[in-house]
Amino acid sequence: MAAYEPRPPRGDRPLAVLGISDVVVIETSPAVPVSTHHVSAWGRWARDVAIPDAAREAIAQLARRYEIVWASEWGHNAHTAFADALGLPAEPWAFLPVQFDKGPRIRSYAAGLPWVWIDGDVVDLHEPDPREDGLIVRVDPAWGIAGVDLAAVDAEMDALIARRSTAPQPV
Amino acid sequence: MDTGTAYGMRHGAPLYELAQVGPGTPYGEVLRRYWQPVAKVEDATTRPISVRVLGEELILFRTRRGAAGLLHPRCIHRGASLFYGGVEEEGIRCCYHGWVFDTEGHCLEQPCEPDLGLHRDRVRQPWYPVQEQYGLIWAYLGPPDRKPVLPRYDTFEDLADDEVLIVNDEGVGGGGPAVLDFNWLQHWENVMDPFHVPILHARFSGNQFTPEMALIPEVSYEYTPTGVRSIQMRDLGDGRQLRRVTEVMFPNLRVVASPKLASGQTNMIGWVVPMDDTSFRIFTIARDSDREFLAKLRSTHEGRPWKDLDALDHQRLPGDYEAQKSQGDISLHSEDHLTTTDQGIAMVRRMMAKQSRLVADGGDPAGVVYEQGDALVRIEGGNYFEGAPEAPLLAAAVED
Repeated sequence: MAAYEPRPPRGDRPLAVLGISDVVVIETSPAVPVSTHHVSAWGRWARDVAIPDAAREAIAQLARRYEIVWASEWGHNAHTAFADALGLPAEPWAFLPVQFDKGPRIRSYAAGLPWVWIDGDVVDLHEPDPREDGLIVRVDPAWGIAGVDLAAVDAEMDALIARRSTAPQPV
Repeated sequence: MDTGTAYGMRHGAPLYELAQVGPGTPYGEVLRRYWQPVAKVEDATTRPISVRVLGEELILFRTRRGAAGLLHPRCIHRGASLFYGGVEEEGIRCCYHGWVFDTEGHCLEQPCEPDLGLHRDRVRQPWYPVQEQYGLIWAYLGPPDRKPVLPRYDTFEDLADDEVLIVNDEGVGGGGPAVLDFNWLQHWENVMDPFHVPILHARFSGNQFTPEMALIPEVSYEYTPTGVRSIQMRDLGDGRQLRRVTEVMFPNLRVVASPKLASGQTNMIGWVVPMDDTSFRIFTIARDSDREFLAKLRSTHEGRPWKDLDALDHQRLPGDYEAQKSQGDISLHSEDHLTTTDQGIAMVRRMMAKQSRLVADGGDPAGVVYEQGDALVRIEGGNYFEGAPEAPLLAAAVED
């Protein structure tokens, strides 16, 4: 157990695995309305970050269908630091403390559940390995999650689930 | 049943994409887009020396006319090393058959050939451009069509009459030997880790700097156009706040003000220059009226310099060298558990990955400029005291 063991998924719905930087936080010249938020978690450090004004609703919309999992270098800070800005529930969502090449950690965590991973492409030091068990959505860093077509994500997830349900099952 | 034992544990891996520095590696190509200090000006003489930088072995010399040159060591004729060459008026002569090369690799003479080499202008000894500034020799090891201007730093401009520039290549800030024998990134990202200071340098090993530095700071982090900055606030308990600003600037600068808390903008900058993947040097420039400023800055361990410690002392009084060297020749970054106080580390790694991608895609990394008018760099790092100005430093109070 040398590596952090995250709380396991509930298992009753697909996962939406979210990066923070480039997704919730815009680090370049924004193409969408953003607001600056002073974020911290448990004190001792703070950052002023630009969050798309539409992020709050986008994440709320995702949370209605998916179990949200943070996968980022923000580690356990993610939920607490962004709770106010994004209107997150008091009970923190699970997190995967991983900064680069997150695919293997996400697949291992999902353990067969369908998933969508929304992130910036800077985290891909190596090209992610395409698989049939999930979707990879890369955001435009100037738009963040505000630029993601969530209806299209839902449609792709529907198709993914349908493919999996008709695929031959291992005996 | 016992859980969490080391039995069967699997080891992680380094972030090679950020840590490696050789030609063709992702961050090695970033480093090559900037001028790098490779030696002190006085190290370039008519006696050739080997310098190892970014995984490349090179020969540094100074012609008898005074021009510094940095050449690939293996003579293009038949491979003898120019380390054994003889320096002449205009260049360096290979010991084996006497071919002479100037500081840009032009072959000036092939003494055994007709007319000193009928085709000597058709060959070239591989070379790198160098410039001399602030007492250092700077080399550009990158693609020639992307050679930037050599930056200047406001910290080192407009010296007062009693000030001098002090140059040191003995590892100031490294807490150990002059040549540090582990991966450079372990040191560089440590610059953006202010929370190790009150632990490693105070609680654990006694106050290696000053009593103020033993206070756990409140830290804000921010990206800058050229790197990452931490602003550390320490409440000194006497109505004053210490605002200490530390920066990493790309690709490998450390802007760390005196931990002994000289007030105002920092008077020194360091360059963490990889020799290869598992060793590096720190070149430091400072301005001060005391020529011994950098030598006096070295941290001590119960009053003794690092070089005087024995094995038990190193274990009992560890500093930066012991902590960073013990992370491994190249740390296994994937095993790290970055947490609340590691924001700065995560930001540095992220910005490094961005620069690698930029360079791989044909762009220019942060801070590279091509116009002389843009060459002056403003440095923000320093120690800034806010509040009651008459209160002495804790260090002074303790000494009193």
